[in-house]
Amino acid sequence: MAEQFFVHEFDNGLTLLGQRMEQVSSAALTVALPGGASRDPDELAGAASVAAHWLLRGAGGRDTRQLNDALDCLGCRHSESAHAEHLVLSAGLLGMNLSAALAIYADILRRPQLADETFPACRDLVAQDLEGLEDEPMRMCNLLIREKFYPHPLGRSPLGSRATLEAMTADAIRRHLERELTPRGTLMAVAGRFEWPELVDVVAENFGDWTGPGMEAVVPAAPADGVTHITKSTAQVQITLAYPAARIQQEQYYAGRVAQMVLSGGMSSRLFTEVREKRALVYAVIAHYHNIKDHAGMFVYAGTTPERAQQTLEVTVGELRRLTEGVGADELARAKAKLKSALIMQGESTAARADALVGDWYHLGRLRGLEELSAAVEAVTVDDVVAYARAFPAEGFTVLTIGPEPLDTSVLN
Amino acid sequence: MEFKQTQLPNGLKVIAEVNPSAASLAVGFFVRTGSRDEDDRTAGVSHFLEHMMFKGTERRSAFDINREFDEMGASYNAFTSEENTVYYAAVLPEFQARVLDLLADMLRPALREEDFQTEKKVILEEIALYQDRPQYRLYEKLMARHFAGHPLGRSVLGTRESITALRREDMLAYFDRRYSPSNVTLVGTGRIDWEAFADKAAAACSHWEAFEAPRARPPADAGGGVGVMADGRLGRQYVGIMSRAPCAQDERRYAASLAATVLGDVTGSRLFYALVAPAIAEEADCGYEPLDGEGAFMTLLVTDPGRAGEALEIARKELARFRAEGPTEAELTAAKNKAASAVTRKGELPMGRLTAVGFDWIYRQTYRPLGEHIDRILAVTTDEIVEVVREYDLTSATILALGPNEKLL
Repeated sequence: MAEQFFVHEFDNGLTLLGQRMEQVSSAALTVALPGGASRDPDELAGAASVAAHWLLRGAGGRDTRQLNDALDCLGCRHSESAHAEHLVLSAGLLGMNLSAALAIYADILRRPQLADETFPACRDLVAQDLEGLEDEPMRMCNLLIREKFYPHPLGRSPLGSRATLEAMTADAIRRHLERELTPRGTLMAVAGRFEWPELVDVVAENFGDWTGPGMEAVVPAAPADGVTHITKSTAQVQITLAYPAARIQQEQYYAGRVAQMVLSGGMSSRLFTEVREKRALVYAVIAHYHNIKDHAGMFVYAGTTPERAQQTLEVTVGELRRLTEGVGADELARAKAKLKSALIMQGESTAARADALVGDWYHLGRLRGLEELSAAVEAVTVDDVVAYARAFPAEGFTVLTIGPEPLDTSVLN
Repeated sequence: MEFKQTQLPNGLKVIAEVNPSAASLAVGFFVRTGSRDEDDRTAGVSHFLEHMMFKGTERRSAFDINREFDEMGASYNAFTSEENTVYYAAVLPEFQARVLDLLADMLRPALREEDFQTEKKVILEEIALYQDRPQYRLYEKLMARHFAGHPLGRSVLGTRESITALRREDMLAYFDRRYSPSNVTLVGTGRIDWEAFADKAAAACSHWEAFEAPRARPPADAGGGVGVMADGRLGRQYVGIMSRAPCAQDERRYAASLAATVLGDVTGSRLFYALVAPAIAEEADCGYEPLDGEGAFMTLLVTDPGRAGEALEIARKELARFRAEGPTEAELTAAKNKAASAVTRKGELPMGRLTAVGFDWIYRQTYRPLGEHIDRILAVTTDEIVEVVREYDLTSATILALGPNEKLL
């Protein structure tokens, strides 16, 4: 069954994306505003996260409680968060309540109250989240490795720093939001149960006369690669490594995704087999792909007790490098099977599809159907994967470790 | 959507919710066993055994198992709780027979000594991993305290000491005591071919030998008391409040679940407005956990150490007020709509339906279609909620704090 994709570009720069799914009664809404953590001015690092809270503190004629209650009453499960390049508002609800929810989101995006008295609590919640990172080394490691890997400020932690949060004022965030709350470059995706002509009308009615400036691009600095260790008396040492990967716009992208699956696609993948199954060095070892508009990386994580950390690092890096030596036909077949079936299963989830629509449009300016994706994965050969591994070798690592002692990272050179 | 069921002569139940319009299917073996069925000497064996099921059978090596799942492009894993161990996989329809053969074979594991010793190290790493997660540490110790002297107080992971001391023979003995087909339900959801499913189940599992495998279900004491675990390495204060609640077999579980939503959902709840909106706590939520013959409400607060006492006082006041007044009609309506929307969205995925259908059967020996669940949710009245929170007194709770503070208040 071919997907039912829809696109409508409004004159004010807002793009509405849709995927109608016959078999469901729910709908998922994802609104991605241009900006996000990477567009926070340096002195306001953390602004997007604070804004994510503040936007829900009253909008239109409703105060905080009335606004949240209105969404709750629609059975709308909502969340707001700062991503690297977008401020993202997501909602999951029944399709029949979509129009009513969109009217409320118009208030949130166009008529937020942003009142002085609700600001300090929003800033405090982000500050508390930042403090909480110290107690959760795995989360800390996976957040901070992006900051180290991507050119500044593209990978910046959305939580900012103690100093920027303390100095942040309501006025400064309001001024920042004047640029961020804009239809220009905003993507709104709906997946699930809806009628497209009706949806376009409802969005036109609520957002058609929305105006706002475009966001200027940021000029990133060179990435600060290298090795960082954070000393902490944790039970496990957290090890994260990152190195460049093909961007989604590049020809070798699909070979890269297959390569990642060979490394870490399932329990028969190389990292799981060599690091966990054979040597029992870890409970968790994983390689995942992450990308922003102009950069992409392979991010590798392993957590292990201190006395086994050095060996874990060495075995892990050995596996990453061994990819250039070749890939078995059976490994390739498994990696492809996993990728293809994951695509089909994600196709059953409205939330996953709404996010995918946003990702495709942002990175490629078009929506990829299941057929195109399957064909692209199917076309990857053993030679393609090896060529990929040579073009994007496991070297020039950015490394972040957290634990009682630093590791000897000479093996990475 | 059609429900199917059968039972093998050895007592193993086979059920399925067939949805011909789904793109995939999910299959799970639900075994009615967990840490509550262990003793001191074997603490953690249920979870360790769950890992060992992936380490090979007479016919398959550990790598064979992983390889076959991956060849099917399966999304698969297993989990162990206080009272259930579930092995599951989601696959495309063409792999129904193959995934069933694989899962069934796994459940008759070889338990080789060498694999046992290797996997023991992975379990010890997992225990270390959770030591770096304060919310999990708090949950485990709060359960131990609230259910002190009751099997539900047992840790799922066990301890470094119990796992280190565990021998392969202990695990074999546990397997022989708990993994009777009478304790196993095979569940299918999504695009299941029922006849082939039932036939394959019979072919793969009929030789499993049946024996009596009862579970001890002593009544639990009311819990209570206050404790503090001071840990100067932590920066935040974590406070858990646990009290009794209707059990999984009790029809009042719908009212209990809605009570927890009104009181402590992550958005729009009493605790959200009283604690999170003003940033007194970063997190303040209440959940309802239905268990076999027991149940629990659990509230978790995460705060600055300096504001933990204040946050706890406010939370206690909200619990007491809720007990006295119950929800307003508007609060209940919002909670119902959130719950109905959540179960609908979860039910759209075969994996989401798998646990719902499976646990309906495990705990209540019934099948309830999604629509009927929603009807029950929508039928709950404010009076029913008031009745539940009066009988199960939210204010008579076990309280435990973890963090830098030496004292609770």
